[in-house]
Amino acid sequence: MRKEQEIVFQNENREQLLEGKIDRREFMSKTLTAGLGLAGVGVAANFGSNSAQAGSHGRPLTPTFYQWIEDLHPSIPKVNSKFPGVNYQIAPVEGFGIERFVAEAKKRESTWDVYVGQTPFVEMTAMIEADVIEPWDNYIPKDVLDDMIPSIRDECTINGKLYGWPFLLDVVGSSYHSGITSKAGLPDDSPSTWGEYLARSQQVVDSGAAQFGATFDARGWRSLAPFTHSLSSDCYTSEGLFDFTGDAAIEALMLMKNIMRDSNPDILLAGTSDGGMNGTPDEVAFAAQRVGYYTKYQNAPLRMAQYWDNPDQLRLGPLPKFAGGEGSTVFWTTGAALFKHGKNKEKAAEYVKALTYDMQIWKDSLAGTSTGQPGQLPPYKSIYSNWASNKPGWLPDFVGLVRGQLDQAKCIDNHLFGLQQFIIGQSVWETYLKGEEKNPRVAMQNVVDAVHAEMKRG
Amino acid sequence: MASAKKTILGLDLNTWVFLLPALLFFAGYQLFPIVRVVWISFTDFKYLTNDPPNWVGFANYIEAVNDPLMWKSLGRAAYFTVLFLPGTIIFPLLLAVLVDRVRNAKVATVYRVILLIPAVIPSTLVFVLWKWMYNYQIGPINYFLVEIMEWFTYRNAPQWLGGTDLTLPSVAIMEIWWGLGYHSIFFLAGLAAIPKDLPEAARVDGANEWQVFWYVIRPRLQPIMMILVVLRFGTAMAVIDEYLIFGGFNRAHPTYTWTVFMYDQAFKTGLWRQGFAASIGMVGAVVMMIFVAYLVYIFRSKD
Repeated sequence: MRKEQEIVFQNENREQLLEGKIDRREFMSKTLTAGLGLAGVGVAANFGSNSAQAGSHGRPLTPTFYQWIEDLHPSIPKVNSKFPGVNYQIAPVEGFGIERFVAEAKKRESTWDVYVGQTPFVEMTAMIEADVIEPWDNYIPKDVLDDMIPSIRDECTINGKLYGWPFLLDVVGSSYHSGITSKAGLPDDSPSTWGEYLARSQQVVDSGAAQFGATFDARGWRSLAPFTHSLSSDCYTSEGLFDFTGDAAIEALMLMKNIMRDSNPDILLAGTSDGGMNGTPDEVAFAAQRVGYYTKYQNAPLRMAQYWDNPDQLRLGPLPKFAGGEGSTVFWTTGAALFKHGKNKEKAAEYVKALTYDMQIWKDSLAGTSTGQPGQLPPYKSIYSNWASNKPGWLPDFVGLVRGQLDQAKCIDNHLFGLQQFIIGQSVWETYLKGEEKNPRVAMQNVVDAVHAEMKRG
Repeated sequence: MASAKKTILGLDLNTWVFLLPALLFFAGYQLFPIVRVVWISFTDFKYLTNDPPNWVGFANYIEAVNDPLMWKSLGRAAYFTVLFLPGTIIFPLLLAVLVDRVRNAKVATVYRVILLIPAVIPSTLVFVLWKWMYNYQIGPINYFLVEIMEWFTYRNAPQWLGGTDLTLPSVAIMEIWWGLGYHSIFFLAGLAAIPKDLPEAARVDGANEWQVFWYVIRPRLQPIMMILVVLRFGTAMAVIDEYLIFGGFNRAHPTYTWTVFMYDQAFKTGLWRQGFAASIGMVGAVVMMIFVAYLVYIFRSKD
């Protein structure tokens, strides 16, 4: 053990010397210290690999989090307290912006060691292309890797390497306000087919139980893609793009238009925060108890229901199916990326492991706290099996439901245009939703043309 | 006998010593970024790759001017500017003339302070405030129209922001409100510089208040108007924060102007084609400079 520590320490010193972080004199003195035996290593370790306070690279472990993660998960500071001296920071990202990370990587440096906030299909490919991140494979313990739910592990893997360490799981499903639906004379269960969903939505409006029947988030990865998956998840081209002109996507687009008949009229407008991505009109309508049915990842209705007179009236369910459809949906995880030019990589792995296995975080996420109930789920098999064998009293029923959907769900394929294809395409397919283009196939072909035109530019 | 001093470009060395800090600042802080962007615009520079950029000549410019989105997005910015610019002159001028007539010094100071309040509110708060005001479902404007006046329902109430025709006028109203006090102060400064005996003499000669304003005061505020129009033309054409916050990256939205197009290409799409984005910026800048020259000509001193 002692020898291993010496070797690790000497390697780190060598790396620092090669990077110009320390001079030869400092390298020699550090190496000498490492060579002094256990006592020397102990002295060095006080500044090094066993302490977050003063990392072996001359700085403490420095994770950076996307702001909303801290907002939704107030127990994160408790994990930090297990890593004395950790330099916890909020990431300079807004609306999926990774400019600062890329700029630093170009100079072969990084202010931070690990970024918690990466959603694979959104930004992982771009961060790999820009040489910002490196795989976790050399640092993640094998038992953790084996513990990941396979579909989640696939989501975070590119070319056989794990570039994302999953943390928070979201699955797109349906939900409804049981106070509104019961007032409309509807049964207290989730509609199982889209036909039933539309009929109930209309019933909500016709009965006057609420102003709007149903709503969705207009961003393609939050509506078009999951609706398409509910018919068929085989909806990606060989190059990894979403198959906008496939039958399933066309059906999904037509479904969106049908839902819009009884939805809030501002459904296609941008959101109010985070570059229009959050605080979206669907969330406002659901929070204001103006709509009966809702499709979005589970944490949205859970958060919005906190504003209701009686949050217990929220019901969650799986995404409805098309007749004869596959019954799949979309999931994604938000996790951690390891900065290639960061430091303290082993410590970062220890930290993310502690973070993702922290039971207080999961209890707070699922049972809720005074600040909210995000309802985001863990990515590990062992946690679910422990809950199955010994169900905690605080564990809400929706956990089993959402976890169950994951078995059918599929992630959006990783691609440089994984997110952008939906952003570019939205204005084009909306011509059909707004009635400017009558034929959904023409609208979707225009989407493909627009995406390919951008891809051609590079 | 005075010794001949060595000069460079007609200036002696002592003068250059004093000029040097300003020149260095100008070259480093203003000239270099512009030159660099011009250079980038002639390359295929993509930020996400580590490949060295290649010189592509005018290819980016040709692509930009042939892209319908370039002109559509410039047109949107111009439309917003047309909506916004009159508001930087008419309302502040009116307000300044009214405040200037307040004779009680303390009351006049209170008015000036009140006028400046919107100008000192941080932009984030202004955007949050107006985004809430304009919110379709829970905003006070639609609440007034739907719940109080019952002129609309929540199925047909105005959609102020996002992708509707009302979006740019809504943003312009916000901007006019935001800049009202700031612009009024410009005019108050101009009014303070007009000798008081000029309007008095006009009144003695029988001019009514409108004639005093139109023939005596307004011409003397012309230089202030030119400064405001030119400055605000530039900022109005180049607005981006508001558009990103109120409209996002939906290319069909009126808020997707050339600045958003440029940002989208430079920091969002594909491998972040900053060479192409720079050419969009340069095309937009040239168009703006042409209009600025025209505005300077219109507002030139006619004395």
